[in-house]
Amino acid sequence: MLKRVFIIAIAVLASSVQLAAQAKVRDVVTSDYNRNSVSFVVIQRGDSNDSATSAAVAAFNPGAKFDINNIRTKSVRIRKSRDEAVLQTEVNEAVAATPFARDILGAIFNRDSNGMMDDKTVRYRGNYDAKDQDVINARAARIGEDALGDLGYALVKGSYVVLVDYYDIERHVDKKGNVSYSTSARGYAYRIGLDDGTMNDFYEQCWIYDDDDQATRSAKLTAFQNLAIDMVPVASASSYSSSETVQGAASKCLSGIVTGLENNISAWEVAVAIVGTKPLRAKIGTKEDLYNGARYRAYSYTEDNNGNLKSVPRGYLRATEISSNTGMSIGETEPSEFYQISGLANIEEGWTIKQSNDARIGVMLGPRFGAPGSVMVGLDADWLLNVSTNGTMQYVLGTLALDLGNLNYAPILIGLGYGYGLHLTRLFEFMPYGLLGLDHIGVSSGDESNDRFLRESALVLEPGIRLCANVAYPLQVFSKMGFDVVLPLGDLYRYYNNYVGHQTGLAVEFGAKWTF
Amino acid sequence: MIALTVLMTVSAVSVSAQNKDRRKSFQSWDNYEITTEKVGVDGTKFVKVWGFGKTVDAAVMNAKENAVHACIFRGIPGSATAMSTPPICPNPDTLVSNEDYFQTFFAPGGPYLAYVSMTTDGVPSGTDKRKVKGGYKVGIYVQVMYDNLKRKLEHDGIARKLSSGF
Repeated sequence: MLKRVFIIAIAVLASSVQLAAQAKVRDVVTSDYNRNSVSFVVIQRGDSNDSATSAAVAAFNPGAKFDINNIRTKSVRIRKSRDEAVLQTEVNEAVAATPFARDILGAIFNRDSNGMMDDKTVRYRGNYDAKDQDVINARAARIGEDALGDLGYALVKGSYVVLVDYYDIERHVDKKGNVSYSTSARGYAYRIGLDDGTMNDFYEQCWIYDDDDQATRSAKLTAFQNLAIDMVPVASASSYSSSETVQGAASKCLSGIVTGLENNISAWEVAVAIVGTKPLRAKIGTKEDLYNGARYRAYSYTEDNNGNLKSVPRGYLRATEISSNTGMSIGETEPSEFYQISGLANIEEGWTIKQSNDARIGVMLGPRFGAPGSVMVGLDADWLLNVSTNGTMQYVLGTLALDLGNLNYAPILIGLGYGYGLHLTRLFEFMPYGLLGLDHIGVSSGDESNDRFLRESALVLEPGIRLCANVAYPLQVFSKMGFDVVLPLGDLYRYYNNYVGHQTGLAVEFGAKWTF
Repeated sequence: MIALTVLMTVSAVSVSAQNKDRRKSFQSWDNYEITTEKVGVDGTKFVKVWGFGKTVDAAVMNAKENAVHACIFRGIPGSATAMSTPPICPNPDTLVSNEDYFQTFFAPGGPYLAYVSMTTDGVPSGTDKRKVKGGYKVGIYVQVMYDNLKRKLEHDGIARKLSSGF
């Protein structure tokens, strides 16, 4: 019995190792990135919020990295209360009942009311998407640069529809009577299910030529109406926002959905090769919606003894100087610059970098000793504002510290500040900073006066320095030292502080940082 | 004096060994990948070819040698957009019978470089630059001046002119 269990266990282990190995081989990150086209469609519920959500989706522009397919279908209806989100299966049914693929092909090939189509959009997109290597290849080929437009035919397969559902739309009224709305949203992305075979069928059966007779035209019109091409579900992403109007809240959700979908759809993540070092440079820019601080991950490639290709992660980098590349490529695209923020090896020319979105927010947790309280626990955050090619980074800082030694008085330090990070190497960051905050000692009492909060608080000024070191990015360790100047603002603070004992002095904090 | 003699002996042995290795690898030179990228402009072949070397630069040089080698001895396979190209020297014995000529032709910095130019944008990148055991494997786009190469080999009496059979 034991022997049998042992053999089965070995077999299971071996097969899982093999499966894992196969998965690894399949998951090769490449630099083959092409522009995608997208259409946003709103899911209507048949209630009073339909018009506001539809207007928000209709006005949304997902950014320069996407081409827009202006399809005829702008909305689908799923009858369900907005108290709950629609299910993926319900969206699938709605998509199956709507001829999205036909709409997309009609939009891309500029199909008119007579069924006539052209390839102007396709050729424009092909030229616009062409990289420097494509231009150089075209020049070396007999067919020349006219062939660049042909690249657009391959882009048709990268057509997506995103159905956006809004739910839990709530109205809020604050004490002053100001009204605001909040909503949750979920976007469901579907890719057109085209392959070379279906594309060829489409051209042969549906494309009407000028010299086609009436019977042929009718047959092709019918074939187009009967075109059955699936839309394949690829990913979904959620978002939440609030605003003074429903439309405003709905609009704010959409960029969050695009970011979420980018993280889930590999083909949407920009990938490109490093073309130079010192500083690191890559040929992407405004055309790909690149922005200062955008995070990318670098990969190199190896081949094992069996010839299997593997991509090896080599660290992260952030965009610094963004080039304007929104014109057609002529083979000399100006590259954008980057700064490497992690990884043991220096990123080399020729390695691939791939978009790896983050919120640029670091959260730190650790004990804090010294001032204003003797033993506190600190929760800090920083939001990256700007990165430069020489490795300087500007941050907005936030801090929150709770005095563990005097919990009865609930003393809490909150502050906002600014930091200027310097990188002597990518592994260490040295940052002078300044914080301005309030040290509040809140004891429950019947005092309802308007200025009570300030009377219980002291102004705190904290200049200091912080040191961060990469452990396994995005995990870092940090240590900071500041000098807290405590300036009481009110009599209550002074009174309670007799018991709490907060004072001006040196503060030291250390702990772990995670960048989200 | 003794040291000088030893040094000269060692370097002579080393050069001899290198020549031996080169001769050996020359005769078994057939282990590379090449594909036709597109129909090249008149008189040229536009191919993607792979090479191997201890450094990226060495691998690029090897890839260029391979491109010219393929045009002379192997021919270039066809693709969806281009017909295959026959070798300039279809006789499999040509390399062995003209080994000295080709040793000079393919020597580092040799005449073969006049017939090949790299059209890759910058250095090989992405999946076209791979770290493998013992060095790098790179894929580059090159343009081979096929007609000029053919004329050169015909002029040097290595390849037969089409008119020579009549």
